[in-house]
Amino acid sequence: MRRPAQLLRGALAGFLVVWFLTPLIPLVLWAGAEGWSGVARLPERWSLDAFLTALGEGSGIALLRSLALGTAVAILATPTGALAARALARGTVRRPRLVAAVLLAPVALPVFAVVMGLNVVLLRLHLPAPIGILLVLVVAALPYTTYVMRVAYGAYDVAYEDEARTLGASPWAVAWWVRLPLLAPGVASATFLAFLVGWSDYIVTLVVGGGRFVTVPVLVASAASGTGNEPTVAALSIGALVPPTLALTAAALLRRRLTRPAVRLREPARADRALASTPGAA
Amino acid sequence: MGARTRRGMATTRSGRGAVTRAADTHSRRGSLAVVPAVAAVLFVLGAGLGAALLQSLGLMPLVGDPRLTIAPYLDVRTYLFGAAGLSLLIASASTLLAALVGLTTALHLVGSRRGQRVLAVLATASIPVPHLVGAASVGLLLADGGLISRWLGVPADSWPALVAGRWPVAVVIEYAWKESAFVALVVTASLTTRAVSYLETAALLGAGPWARLRHVTLPLAGPSLVAASAITFVYTLGSYEVAWLLGAAYPEPLPVMSYRLFTSTDLTARPQAMAVAVMTTALAAMVAVAALGLLRRMAAWR
Repeated sequence: MRRPAQLLRGALAGFLVVWFLTPLIPLVLWAGAEGWSGVARLPERWSLDAFLTALGEGSGIALLRSLALGTAVAILATPTGALAARALARGTVRRPRLVAAVLLAPVALPVFAVVMGLNVVLLRLHLPAPIGILLVLVVAALPYTTYVMRVAYGAYDVAYEDEARTLGASPWAVAWWVRLPLLAPGVASATFLAFLVGWSDYIVTLVVGGGRFVTVPVLVASAASGTGNEPTVAALSIGALVPPTLALTAAALLRRRLTRPAVRLREPARADRALASTPGAA
Repeated sequence: MGARTRRGMATTRSGRGAVTRAADTHSRRGSLAVVPAVAAVLFVLGAGLGAALLQSLGLMPLVGDPRLTIAPYLDVRTYLFGAAGLSLLIASASTLLAALVGLTTALHLVGSRRGQRVLAVLATASIPVPHLVGAASVGLLLADGGLISRWLGVPADSWPALVAGRWPVAVVIEYAWKESAFVALVVTASLTTRAVSYLETAALLGAGPWARLRHVTLPLAGPSLVAASAITFVYTLGSYEVAWLLGAAYPEPLPVMSYRLFTSTDLTARPQAMAVAVMTTALAAMVAVAALGLLRRMAAWR
């Protein structure tokens, strides 16, 4: 009985690894391919020329533009969401369910419909395209930052602050040494998600920017919709993957470093887990 | 309440700002704190969807006088049902696949130790991939002359039309791939916080692996699975770039149809684009409301 179950488990794990890995393989192979004839299983000649070609197509400035957009969305959506989340977690908001529903609504509604309608309004207000794009993307990111910070504040014990204050800590010291370290994992996740919303966007940039605000996704789209330039598509795509992957890694490392003392406080919970994973208990 | 009293005592003892601190918890301050976020959301959603509705009804024309009409809706109705059907097909298939693979991944990540790290890293690695990049890569994987056709040694002309064919195979695979990682992440998070102690209790009471899966893990995973699936469904229903890049020119799903009409040089097409956008919004809103109703009825929610 144990054997087949374990085999099934192994096969499933193998399938899952293949499932998550395979869609990224073409990017690596094509980005390094210099010559790849139609029937060959692997490229015959390798080079990194595709990255130079991609740079020649103005991807340097597009990369900076995308970085600025992602950073701006994160800088605006994280504190705004955190402010709302703190009030919601403390129960100091009137009609909290309605407020939470409004803040989560952007996730449920199609962004292309919102931005196509809004475009006329933005034009009549004479807002510059980058400002309009930023505004829509901040709203698109707010559900994520609010939700993540709501969970973080929900788990946050305000008694630590009282303790520090009792010991004579100033409000600034409490904020810097108590509140920030305890909330930092949530802030890191929220910031990453908001950055990702700005970094990945295509349709908002396209509709409001009218094709003149060229970001990395706009470049990838125009390359990928053509034919015969697979190496450039792959190189641009890899360029589009590096910054958010670095941001994710940074957020994960930060979270791990900051949660280590907290784990020590929850020693019994760890003992539970160790017990549950021993063969006797399972 | 307890926290508030303790906080008041603490500030009095440290002797500073007792008044401002007490006001901090006052409901007016709390309500003020949500104003920036709520105002931004209400402006963008209200103005955006409001303007879309007005334009679709002829009340906000680019040129000429406003005149109430439902002609744009009637103009698109013959194509609307086909586009809505295709959109619903893409959303259902993608969500079903993503939920299945995502739940399996989550169960694997929570349940076993071997290979857990590799799988966790791989599932997490697809989170930061923009959908457009995912679509470009899936195109390079599944098209004729793509990686799989090369590896299988199938010549391009006998390769099935997975990209831009009659059925949106590549579109569904891209969505299922990206969103399965999202589902896995959400469900794993909901399980790791509570499942371990419950599973241990169930095991001590003599429950076997299947009983633990059916009576502990799945009920605990249920609400987060439904929530993540609902988000996936409405996202794929209203998402543009993947179906535009990997789908056929005809039939086209709602967002692709709407944006094509939006960019048309024919000025009468603009209200039609808005009509399609309004119908897509109505469809997404109905799905969201249904999902919320389902979540509210699930026992373990909150």
